[in-house]
Amino acid sequence: MAPREALSTVLDGELVGHDGLVDRRVLCDEDLYRRELESVFERSWLFLAHESQIPNAGDFFATTMADDPVLVVRQKDGSVAAMLNSCRHRGMRVCRADVGNAKAFTCTFHGWTYDASGQLVNVPKYDEGYHGELDKSKWGLVRVPRVESYKGLIFGTWDEDAPTFVDYLGEEMCWYLDSLVDRREGGTEVIGGVHRWVIDCNWKLGAEGFIGDMYHSEMTHASVGLGALPDKGWQYGAPRGHGTGFFIDGLEYWNGAYGDEVVRYYEEIAPEITNRLGAAAADLVSACAHGGVFPNFAYLTGAAMTIRVWQPRGVDRMEVFSWVLVDRAAPPEIKEASRRGMTRAFSASGTLEQDDGENWSEIQRVMRGSVARKHPINYQMGFGHERDDVPGLPGTVGYVNGDLPGRGFYRYWAELMRQGPLKRANGDGSG
Amino acid sequence: MAQAEADTAAGTRLRPADAALHHEVGLFLYHEAAVLDAHEYDEWLALFTPDIDYRMPTRYNRLAREQGQATASEGDLAHFEDDLAGLRERVDRIRSGFAWAEAPPSRTRHLVTNVRVWHGTDDSLEVESHFLLYRTRIEVDVEVLAGARHDTLVPGGPHGWLIRRRYILLDQTTTVNLSVML
Repeated sequence: MAPREALSTVLDGELVGHDGLVDRRVLCDEDLYRRELESVFERSWLFLAHESQIPNAGDFFATTMADDPVLVVRQKDGSVAAMLNSCRHRGMRVCRADVGNAKAFTCTFHGWTYDASGQLVNVPKYDEGYHGELDKSKWGLVRVPRVESYKGLIFGTWDEDAPTFVDYLGEEMCWYLDSLVDRREGGTEVIGGVHRWVIDCNWKLGAEGFIGDMYHSEMTHASVGLGALPDKGWQYGAPRGHGTGFFIDGLEYWNGAYGDEVVRYYEEIAPEITNRLGAAAADLVSACAHGGVFPNFAYLTGAAMTIRVWQPRGVDRMEVFSWVLVDRAAPPEIKEASRRGMTRAFSASGTLEQDDGENWSEIQRVMRGSVARKHPINYQMGFGHERDDVPGLPGTVGYVNGDLPGRGFYRYWAELMRQGPLKRANGDGSG
Repeated sequence: MAQAEADTAAGTRLRPADAALHHEVGLFLYHEAAVLDAHEYDEWLALFTPDIDYRMPTRYNRLAREQGQATASEGDLAHFEDDLAGLRERVDRIRSGFAWAEAPPSRTRHLVTNVRVWHGTDDSLEVESHFLLYRTRIEVDVEVLAGARHDTLVPGGPHGWLIRRRYILLDQTTTVNLSVML
């Protein structure tokens, strides 16, 4: 019997089963990829930038929401606007710089010019060519209708009816994410610059990995002499597919990796973290935690912090945007140790990062085969051993080495795929 | 382009090396390329001074009037920013047998060209070179990395010179996995 089309199978709820098995076509099927751009990415909150990247009016950062180019711009009133980086006239990108400061964005094709809020302010030959008849107020850049900042992290969504970002996270995930962004007075900031590199794999391999896979660490990263990792820890999976995992009591373990001054810093800030978020958060931060917000935002917290986005670039390629995050209140030498440590471990040249990418791209390569595609991958670890009675930890958790968040990630992905694209009038979008 | 070139040439009026010295430095750089392509990493580490400053900043597409900021400053993110211990850690990792991104290893050709040599202060040399790193792995995977290097060399070592500072200006803004040395 011929296998059923991947799309109809996912719509029937069979590609991501409740038995913990995931059909490999979710990672390699072109039809599913085209559908997820609309059904998953257009409907979800996507990370845009960190507030500290664009402190001044006119500061902009060019990113993408999935594969759509988007400009994130600081406004005169201090708010942040995000807009599709595509001229309304013929579709050219109106800004081709990655980062900078601008009062206006002028298209290099015919010269249509937009102000920092995306309003169309100048059209060459307006009187002679358009006879003054073009309504400029209707032809501004397409705005991202919802933009919210959560403790320095700026997210946006194309879904005007989406829940607030905090509701999208859920109360439980807010607490876990706060171990990254709200552990100290003053919050966080990013070090200048972005690491960007491509990996030939589906974006979900990165996303699910950071949301739910501590298990890989000892084998994948054996080259840096991690040895046996701490054996105590938990993982959490949110209803909307977010997740995190972390060791506890791990500070001693990381001593060698980040140095005495970093360990001392974490000992010093433990009371402040306890005061703000509870003793469980101080435990969590003392070791090393991975996490992610569905669909494609990821972070590491603990002895050094990164935030990143897995940008889809086709079904079998992604581009990583990665930042180094630091506590704003940290002393300069700790920020410097974080910058150097994260660059060495988690960048395109990172001694841990490289081997993640290698495994992911090989997984993608294998799926070229028609037989390999027919065999599901296994997310059964810890199935049936979830618990909700761990003191200090919100939500349903499981042992740190498990697939609880991974199962949740794929379940929610499948749910969005079933619901399908946004239903909305395709208006002029200028707001 | 080149911030690396400007470091050397702008306003400093360094004296160019003569043909014999230029040839000698060229051979030194080719030797380095050969040991890297042969994965002879102890040989490679022996080409650096103990206080080596090895760095490759990130780069960005910027507006015309902001071209001066197209290369990351010190204190911003770099692709590499290593001292000798850091380079040794990378080498140890590759040789551990568990560095999956280099197991099986990349097959590389470090092509070094456009070499220019000036006399620096004291007995050091300032050396510009351009590189094209061809890398193939596994099946037909091919990646090409290109850029400029600015090295400061000081006398010493079995090959006559040691590298005290290496500033690499990669031409790519978005890279691939950087599991190889430049």
